[in-house]
Amino acid sequence: MCQTLRHRGPDDEGIHADAVSGVSIGARRLAIMDIAGGHQPLSNENGTVWAAFNGEIYNHPTLREDLRRRGHVFQTHGDTEVLVHLYEEYGEAMVHALEGMFTFAIWDQRAQRLLLARDRFGEKPLFLHEENGELLFASELTSLLEVRPRLRELDPAAIDAFFVFAYVPGPGTVVPGVRQLPPGCLLSWERGRGCEERAWWSPPERPVPRRDELRSLIAEAKELLSEAVRTRLVADVPVGVFLSGGVDSTLVAAVAAQESSTRLRTFTVGYDVGGVNETERARIVADRLGSEHHEVTLTQPEVAERAPLVLSRMDQPLGDRAALPLHAVSEFARPRVTVALGGEGADELFGGYPRYRWLERARRVQAALPGPALGSLGWMLRRAAGLPRAARASMRLAPTPVLERNLDWVTAERRHRRAPLYGPRLAALDDTRVISDLASCAGELNGGPAARWLMRLDQRHYLPDDVLVKTDRASMLVSLELRSVFLHAGLAELAGSLDTAVHLAGSGKALVHAMLPEGLLPERRGGYRKTAFRVPAAEWLRGPLAPTMQEQLAHGTLYEEGWFDRAAVGRLVQEHAATGADHSDQLWPLLALGLWADRFHGREPA
Amino acid sequence: MVASRPEPGGRSGGRPRLLLLTPDYPPSPGGIQVVSHRLAAALAGFETTVLAPASAGAAEFDAHSGVRTLRVASPGALPGPARIGLLNAAALARASMLRPQLTLSMHIVMSPAAAAIARATGARAVQYFHAEEIGARPRLAAFAASNATASIVVSEYTAGLVREASARHGKQPGTLHVIGNGTDVPEDHAPFSDEPGRATILTVGRIEERYKGHDAMLRALPLVLAKVPEAQWVVVGDGSLRPSLEALAKGLGVDHAVRFLGAVSDEERNLWLRRARLVAMPSRLPAGGFAGEGFGIVYLEAGAYGKPVVAGNVGGALDAVSDGETGLLVDPTDPLALAEAIVRLLRDSELAGRLGANGRANALAHTWPHVAERVEAVLLGALDRSKTG
Repeated sequence: MCQTLRHRGPDDEGIHADAVSGVSIGARRLAIMDIAGGHQPLSNENGTVWAAFNGEIYNHPTLREDLRRRGHVFQTHGDTEVLVHLYEEYGEAMVHALEGMFTFAIWDQRAQRLLLARDRFGEKPLFLHEENGELLFASELTSLLEVRPRLRELDPAAIDAFFVFAYVPGPGTVVPGVRQLPPGCLLSWERGRGCEERAWWSPPERPVPRRDELRSLIAEAKELLSEAVRTRLVADVPVGVFLSGGVDSTLVAAVAAQESSTRLRTFTVGYDVGGVNETERARIVADRLGSEHHEVTLTQPEVAERAPLVLSRMDQPLGDRAALPLHAVSEFARPRVTVALGGEGADELFGGYPRYRWLERARRVQAALPGPALGSLGWMLRRAAGLPRAARASMRLAPTPVLERNLDWVTAERRHRRAPLYGPRLAALDDTRVISDLASCAGELNGGPAARWLMRLDQRHYLPDDVLVKTDRASMLVSLELRSVFLHAGLAELAGSLDTAVHLAGSGKALVHAMLPEGLLPERRGGYRKTAFRVPAAEWLRGPLAPTMQEQLAHGTLYEEGWFDRAAVGRLVQEHAATGADHSDQLWPLLALGLWADRFHGREPA
Repeated sequence: MVASRPEPGGRSGGRPRLLLLTPDYPPSPGGIQVVSHRLAAALAGFETTVLAPASAGAAEFDAHSGVRTLRVASPGALPGPARIGLLNAAALARASMLRPQLTLSMHIVMSPAAAAIARATGARAVQYFHAEEIGARPRLAAFAASNATASIVVSEYTAGLVREASARHGKQPGTLHVIGNGTDVPEDHAPFSDEPGRATILTVGRIEERYKGHDAMLRALPLVLAKVPEAQWVVVGDGSLRPSLEALAKGLGVDHAVRFLGAVSDEERNLWLRRARLVAMPSRLPAGGFAGEGFGIVYLEAGAYGKPVVAGNVGGALDAVSDGETGLLVDPTDPLALAEAIVRLLRDSELAGRLGANGRANALAHTWPHVAERVEAVLLGALDRSKTG
C-alpha cells in the first residue's frame, strides 16, 4: 500500500506493526520540515503511542514550546512528533489544538485504540474500508484498492452523481465498499467495538444581523490573514505563491511579500488559445510586488500530452477543468520551490461567487411577489434586454427552489441532460437521488438568507470534494505542497460569524477586497468579472484533445461497459467540433471520467 | 493624604464644586458606568454633580444613588454622534449655571465640553482614560489629554496609548496619573457550592468586543475538558456577539459544557463569583491599532471573592493581575497555553487557593474608597494648580 503512495511522499517510507493487535500503520513522506529527522511512523519515548501523518501542522512550533514546558522531550524537529505528545496530553481532544491541513492515524498501544482524524476543511484525504470488524485506511483510494483488489468496482450511483457535479460527492467514493472520513471529523476504532465517528469542528452556523464596525473587522481579518501567511511560510525549503491575477491570490501574494524575509517567487499559468489570459494581470501584480515572477504557458500540444496523465491519476475522477493548469504550474514550480501558497477557499468562506448575490436577490423577488405578478414581470423582463443580467437570470430560474437553482447554476444543468447520454448501466437509477442527497447535506434553509445557506453548502460539499481534491491531487502528483492561506480556523470562524450582507456588499467577497492593498490589482476593463478560473476547455476539446475524445469513444471503458451511450456522446462530440455549440460542460467531465475509468480498469492511457 | 482643601477662589465655605461628565452611567451596565458612579458617590471632598444621559430606569436609580445627577434626554432615535453632541451642549449650558471649579470627564467624548467650560468659566479639567476609546479616536484622545490639567489613566498600558496618540497628533499630554479601577469587597465571599462535581470557570463581561477572548475560551475548552471532564464554562453578560459564540460552541462540540447566562442581576453574578473555581478573561490586543482591555475590573472582582484569574499577558491585565501572585497570565492567542493555565488552577487547589487569597488582599487595597481617595488627590492637585497658575 505504501508503494502506491510514492508520489505523495517520495522521500521516505516506514511501517509500524503492533504484534499483539495485528494493527499496522505506514507512511510515505514528502520532506518539508526537519528533512533528515522526520521519519514516520513515529512513537513516543516508550513506544506506546505511534503516529502516521499526512499534511502540515502550521502551528507546530508554538505547540512544541507549550509541550516542552510541560516536560515533553522531543527527538525530532518535525510536526509528527508534536501529534504524539499532544495525544499523550489530551487524547483525541488534541485535534482542537491543531492549525493546519492534515489526516493522521494514532495507535494507542495501551488503550488498544486507533484514532483517525481529518482537518477542518478536508484539505487532506482519508479513505476507509470496514469489513468484519477490521478497518483499512489510506490517504489514497488507489492504494487501499491495491490491498483489497476485490473492492475494485464502480458504484453506478456515484458515477451518476459525478456526471451531475463533475466530482464525487463525499463522504462516499466511486467504489461501493469505501468511504471517506468527512472534513472536521475523527474516528476511533477498537477491536471488537468497531468504529465510532464524530465531528470535531464545523463552521459556525448561526450568524445574526450585527452592526460590526467595518474598520475593526477588516483589521481583525487582516491580522488573522497575516498570521495564516506567516505560519504557512515556515518551511525548511523554498516557498512560492501561485498568482492567478484574481483578487484572492493577489492578496495572498501581497501579504506573503510583506511577511517573507526573502524575495517572493510567484508563478502563473497561461494558455495559447481561448482569448482568456490572466497572465498579464498577474505580471502587473508581480511587478508591483517586486517578486521573482515565473510564467508558464500551457500550450495545446502540452495539453494533449498532459490531460491523459493528469485526469487519469486524480485518485477519484475529477471533472474540474482547472486541474490541468494547476498541475502544469505545480510541475513548473517544483524544481524552484517545494511549497506554494494559494488562495483557495476564499470564494466559499467570504462569499465570492456571484451566484450567492443573484440567487439571494431572486429568492427575495420571488418571496415578495405573488405568482401571477411574477409571471408577467418575468415576461417583461425577458423582453427588456437592457436590464441587469441578474434580474433576467433570476426570472429564468424563478420557479425552482433555491437549492435546485444553485445546482443547475454550478453544474450547467447537467442533471437535465442525463437521460439521453446514459447507457444501460446508469439508466435504471432513480434520477432524484442526487437532489435528495444534496438536500440532506444542505440541511434546512430555515428562512435564513439563501446566500448564507449556499455558502455553507459549498463549504461542506464543493470545497472539500472538488476544490481541495484538485489542489491536493494536482500538486501532490508532482510532490509539491500547496498551502491554502484562507483555510485558517480563525479566519473561517470570523467569516462564519458575519452577517451575509457584509460578505456580499459591493461585488461580493467584500472583506477580501477591503484587505487588498490599494492600487495593487489593475482595474478590469468593463468592470469586475469573475474570469480568473476560465480554462479554454472548449477550444482544447476541438483541438488537441479531439483525438483523445475519439479514442475514448472507440475503446473507452465508459462506452465498452455500457455506462454511457456511445452514439449519444458521439453526436455531442460531433456537434461541439463542427458547430459553434459549446458542450464542454458535458464533454469535459466525460473525458475526465473516461480517462480515469480506463486506468482504474488497468488500461494505461495511450 | 489630603493635607488641605483649598477654598474656591473668593467663595466662602463649602466644598469645591465638581461637575462629572459621563456618557455612560448606571443603571445601564458597563465598566465606565460603574467607575463613574462609584467615584461620584465616594468623592467626599467635593460637591459633586453628575451630568449623564437619560436612560430607562434612571429616575429610580438617581433617587437612591446618593449623588446629585442631571440627566440629558435626547429625542428617540438620534444617532450616536448627535447624542454626544447634545450631551456636550447640555454640559456647557449647565456649567454656566453651576459654575464648577473643576470638571472630571469620564470619557474623551466629553472632552469638548470640558475644554469649552474651561475656556468659559476657568474651571480646570481632569480627564479619565480607559483604553478602547483611545484606539478608536486617537485624535480626540490627544486633544483631551492636552486640554486637561491632569489625566487619570487606568493602567500603564493606557498611559502608553495616550502618549502614543498624543505623539502621533503632535500634542503634549498633561500629567498622567495611573489609578487602577476599584471594586467592592464583600464580607461573605465563602465558596458556594450547590453544584457539587462541577468545576466552574467564570467569565464576566459584555459580549460586544472580539478582543475579550470569548472565542479563545471556546477554542481552549475542548482541551480543558479532556483533562477536567467536569469543567463547565459560565458566561455572564450579553451582547451582539453572543449568537455567533453559541454557534461556535456548537461547531466545536462543546455546547454541553457552556452556559451563556446573558445579563444577570448583581446578586446572581456575585453568586456565580462564589460558585466559580476561577475567573478567566483572556483579553488580547485587538488588531489594527485598536486598543484592548484597559484594566478589566472583573479581575479585581474575582480577587474580591478570593478567586484566582486567568488573563492575557497583554494590555491592562498586566496592571490588574500579577502573574503567579493573583492569577496566571498567558498568551491569549494560544489555546493550548490558555487551557493549561485553566487546568492547572482546576487541578491544583492549593495554588488556586493561594492566588485567590492574594487576590482578595489585593482587592482590599483597591476598594472604591481607596480609588476615590487617590482620584481626589489628583483633583485637588489640579485645583491647586488653578490657584497658583
